[in-house]
Amino acid sequence: MSSLRERMNRLRGSAGAQPGGGGASPNGTGGGQPECRQPDAAGAVPAPEAGDLRHADSVSPALDPAWTALGVTRLVNEAGECLVRRVDYPLDHRHGFHRLDELDECAHALAALCSGGNGPAPAPEAERILFLDLETTGLGVGAGNVPFMTGIGYVEGDRFVIEQTLIRHPAEERAMLEELRVKLAERPYLATYNGRTFDWPLLKGRFIMNGFGRSAAAEPWHLDFLHPSRSIWRNTLASLRLSHVEEERLGIVRSGDVPGSMAPAIYFRFLQDEDPEPLGGVFRHNELDMLSLACLAIRFGRLLSGGLGRHVPLPEEDEELLRTGLWLDRMGCAEEAEALFERLAGRETAGPWCLPLAARDKKCGNWRRAVLLWQKAALAAERQGWASGEAHIELSMYYEHRAKDYKQALRYASAALELAARRASLGRFDAKKRAEQDAIRRRIERLTKKAGRIEA
Amino acid sequence: MNRLTGKFDNLDEWLNDLRSRPEIMNNVTHWETIPAREAVYAPLPRGLHPKLEAALRAKGIDRLYSHQASAFEAVLAGRNIVTVTPTASGKTLCYNLPVLQALLEDNSVRALYLFPTKALAQDQVAELQQLADLMEADIKTHTYDGDTPPTVRQAIRNAGHIVVTNPDMLHAAILPHHTKWVKLFENVKYIVLDELHAYRGVFGSHVANVIRRLRRICRFYGSNPIFLCASATIDNPGEHAERLIGDKVQVIDNNGAPSGEKHFIFYNPPVVNQQLGIRRSSVLETQRLAAMLLRQGVQTIVFARSRVRVEILLTYLQDAVKQLPGGKQIRGYRGGYLPKQRREIERGLRNGEILGVVSTNALELGIDIGQLQACVINGYPGTIASTWQQSGRAGRRHGTAVTFLVASSNPLDQYVIQNPEFFLNRPPERALIHPDNLLILIDHVKCAAYELPFEKGETFGGEKLEDMLEFLVEEQVLHRVKDRWYWMAQSFPANNISLRSAAQENFVIIDITNGSRVIGEVDRFSAPTLIHEEAIYIHEGVQYQVEKLDYPEKKAYVREVSVDYFTDANMAVELKVLHVDREKESGGIVRQYGEVMVNARPTIFKKIRLRTHENIGSGPIHLPEEELHTSGYWFSFSEEAAARLGTNAMQSALLGIANVLIHIAPLYLMCDPFDIRVYPQVKSVHMKRPTIYFYDRYPGGIGLSERLFELHDELLERARQLIRGCTCLSGCPACVGPIEEVGLLGKSQALQLLEETAVGAP
Repeated sequence: MSSLRERMNRLRGSAGAQPGGGGASPNGTGGGQPECRQPDAAGAVPAPEAGDLRHADSVSPALDPAWTALGVTRLVNEAGECLVRRVDYPLDHRHGFHRLDELDECAHALAALCSGGNGPAPAPEAERILFLDLETTGLGVGAGNVPFMTGIGYVEGDRFVIEQTLIRHPAEERAMLEELRVKLAERPYLATYNGRTFDWPLLKGRFIMNGFGRSAAAEPWHLDFLHPSRSIWRNTLASLRLSHVEEERLGIVRSGDVPGSMAPAIYFRFLQDEDPEPLGGVFRHNELDMLSLACLAIRFGRLLSGGLGRHVPLPEEDEELLRTGLWLDRMGCAEEAEALFERLAGRETAGPWCLPLAARDKKCGNWRRAVLLWQKAALAAERQGWASGEAHIELSMYYEHRAKDYKQALRYASAALELAARRASLGRFDAKKRAEQDAIRRRIERLTKKAGRIEA
Repeated sequence: MNRLTGKFDNLDEWLNDLRSRPEIMNNVTHWETIPAREAVYAPLPRGLHPKLEAALRAKGIDRLYSHQASAFEAVLAGRNIVTVTPTASGKTLCYNLPVLQALLEDNSVRALYLFPTKALAQDQVAELQQLADLMEADIKTHTYDGDTPPTVRQAIRNAGHIVVTNPDMLHAAILPHHTKWVKLFENVKYIVLDELHAYRGVFGSHVANVIRRLRRICRFYGSNPIFLCASATIDNPGEHAERLIGDKVQVIDNNGAPSGEKHFIFYNPPVVNQQLGIRRSSVLETQRLAAMLLRQGVQTIVFARSRVRVEILLTYLQDAVKQLPGGKQIRGYRGGYLPKQRREIERGLRNGEILGVVSTNALELGIDIGQLQACVINGYPGTIASTWQQSGRAGRRHGTAVTFLVASSNPLDQYVIQNPEFFLNRPPERALIHPDNLLILIDHVKCAAYELPFEKGETFGGEKLEDMLEFLVEEQVLHRVKDRWYWMAQSFPANNISLRSAAQENFVIIDITNGSRVIGEVDRFSAPTLIHEEAIYIHEGVQYQVEKLDYPEKKAYVREVSVDYFTDANMAVELKVLHVDREKESGGIVRQYGEVMVNARPTIFKKIRLRTHENIGSGPIHLPEEELHTSGYWFSFSEEAAARLGTNAMQSALLGIANVLIHIAPLYLMCDPFDIRVYPQVKSVHMKRPTIYFYDRYPGGIGLSERLFELHDELLERARQLIRGCTCLSGCPACVGPIEEVGLLGKSQALQLLEETAVGAP
């Protein structure tokens, strides 16, 4: 009988399948045996930091100097052992536009952003927020996607502490999770970037897989900054990736950063050759992510506590101004929102922000400004050749149903038809455009009748 | 009979009239009347929950059929079961009763239902929901499949009592995300596997592995569910169920359901050329019988073996029966129709708007189309089990039903039609699976490792687990730490693994007559023969010609045409033996079983005129060669025999025997005729003698050749009988093949070769 390997090779030859099942082959050449483990250079390692007994371990052999060079120490708890890298920053550290101590001033305002948890969230204090970012071996939240590095950050006294636990192999995951569990229990707010759909569900699965049970960690109050980022910047930023957002809006520039997408390949290589050095890049990337998360918390905290224009610059683009206003409005900051809306409404010229803002005003019954905005937009459409009759239709509806001024309504409907015809001549005439024109014609017909009745 | 309309009052009258018509009866080789069956009842079980009992009574069920009662009892005793009873015998109650009982007793209990197709799952939910409503019980039944909206998925995961899904979904969505299904896996008490016979061959081998994974996850969460299986009649339901679920299973087969009188008529189209042994086309005879039934207003289902046949028959029938009473319709049904179209046809059959349907075996499965009155089967479906399944589509609990089996000229059909007792007295075939096919097994070891790390001492299938795990470590998808193996790769293994061979690689068919629209699809293995360039592809009775086959992109562009022919493709095959695993000798014949390598390439296609079926032209096919590493079985004749016959005669003898064997082999295997292939070689490279090879048409094999290796003596004996018993002079399509193929002496040469090597022959 041939060996399993030979049999597989023959079968695969005929099945035309790719070796490795589509998995990434981190060292490119593939197929090689793992290299020999480097002997631990005992004695060559400086002693772990004094005063932090939890991280010291006098029984296990000392860590390879390559680890210590990365600032990594051993972490031992009742669930086992893994590694940790601990960095801290003084709170007056400035990262991009913001200083970390700003968090203390505005953290309370983040309550509006909270979701999940059990019941409505009380106002957060800075020290009760846990910032979190995972580096995982794959995509998605399937059972085989393992977080190999857990980065957390929190305020403790006058420091912003970043702790990054790393597992040297999957059997160390339990220790890493135990460490996280303790930290989570002390801090009920979980600040992430897309953590509600990714990091947290993944962690819940990991707790279950590692025998912690379903109730290992209570559902936190989520501060997932992806959601407000999307609300505010979806039309003004080319991408909503954290690295892009921070560069464009938080004044943070990373140099020589290892992109997060490279992290799994670097980790797989480490599993093969056990050389910690390349992991340094992943540590640094994750560390910067933690700082950026803190800055995002400050940014949104400032916005929610009336800091716009004082601590946070006013957006340069009208679109961002509008989106910021709409978001603040939804978050319950009506006054701040209104200030932005007034600023926009006071503009000489109309812009694409007119219609969304008018729609918001229409919804909450602010007809006065809604009509003004529509008129502004309608005028711009006629004069500058905008190919949209939407403002006209809105005005027509307003005059028909609210002001009962059928003549005005008819005037705007006719103008809308004209614009629609103009637009039809520009591009392909399709069913949608036809339906739109038909609807306007029906409106005109109805209005003509109503107007006629009044006259008669 | 109404003299004006030519209509009979009922089916019995029509059948009586049929008996007096020689132009039909001369072709009937056997008329089997299966008497009506009285029901065997059992009282509602004691201990049945009062709500459940009330709901049953509200549905008019005051007692159970005997098999339903036995099933209930066995399940309550904690045993896995497989219910094997005919179509429409109330099989679903066999598993629904224990499940509902358990849910009424304890609302935290969960059940998982698996059906081979989405359509079946949807039927099931409707039925369960109805019962739950009658009981006014809080029992939430949900389908969970690709169509389930993301918004309700979470609710189903947490709160669904009965989750109805399919093996593919279990494989790719549920098991890899098991931590989201904690409630289900912690509390699952029953797992229902219906249509068990559908889980055979490659698909079944995959499903057996998915169930291995399922049990592993259940163990992790501390549950140990009972399996409630149901199957159409097969020879080995117990064995099959046990191989699928990897545990002991009790067979429930004491059918208590009643059935009406049933007529099973064996019909052989008349010989039109005695010399060449040519019979009238079975397609035309099928059309004739079906048209007679449809004109009588009898709801009829016609089964054909291939998609092409379905389309041809549909065209002929729609032509022949132009005016149906009440504007009713005749429709086609087969794989390749879009799901929406299929649902519409199923509905039409249930409410009677569709009087006639022409289908492939796609309608053989338990899709709810109600019970029809008549069934015409064009060509022996290949297995006894599936013949009974198809025939079961006609037949109500009360009232008469009729099935015509119309034989084609191929040897298996002719054997069955002339030896009806073989069909009537023999148990149906065995469902074969080979869960330890190395390729399949390794794929699922990967998936299982993704789901949960492996620990030393675990087992998974028949191979040594540790060897497989170490292999995967070398492949750098697993990482070993002490006695555990962890998944360590970026990929999501279930994504690259389809349970249905080639299902992921379907070719779509795009009609470019007017703009472009997708009209259907064809699986990868059928593509070279069905949609090569210039092929005529028939869809819903309309002819299309393939203008371009984009092989890498898996798209065929077709244009509507109107021609009087269809196309048929040829394949060229080469075979190499790689490894011999087993060897035996009997009656001067050495036979072996082992690993083989097959290279196949489509060569030419023929154009065949509609109705007369004459060959009117041909053309080349340019498509890449396919290489297949699989398992095979082969046997050789002695050198003396070779010397006696000479090369040319040996050629025709081998070809003749191969033709017969490939047609009767499916008698012993429950497989699609295309799953097993034959290849004769006058001087085999491997054996140095005249040899006939069989091989499984799936990488790694699925156990078909191995079974034939075991049945070798019986197989040859059956072939001898068939050739000897055939009435033709010197070879016909019904035995060794037509004279054009095997030569004038082909028949006697084949027989001579077989007689010389007779073992234990009378």
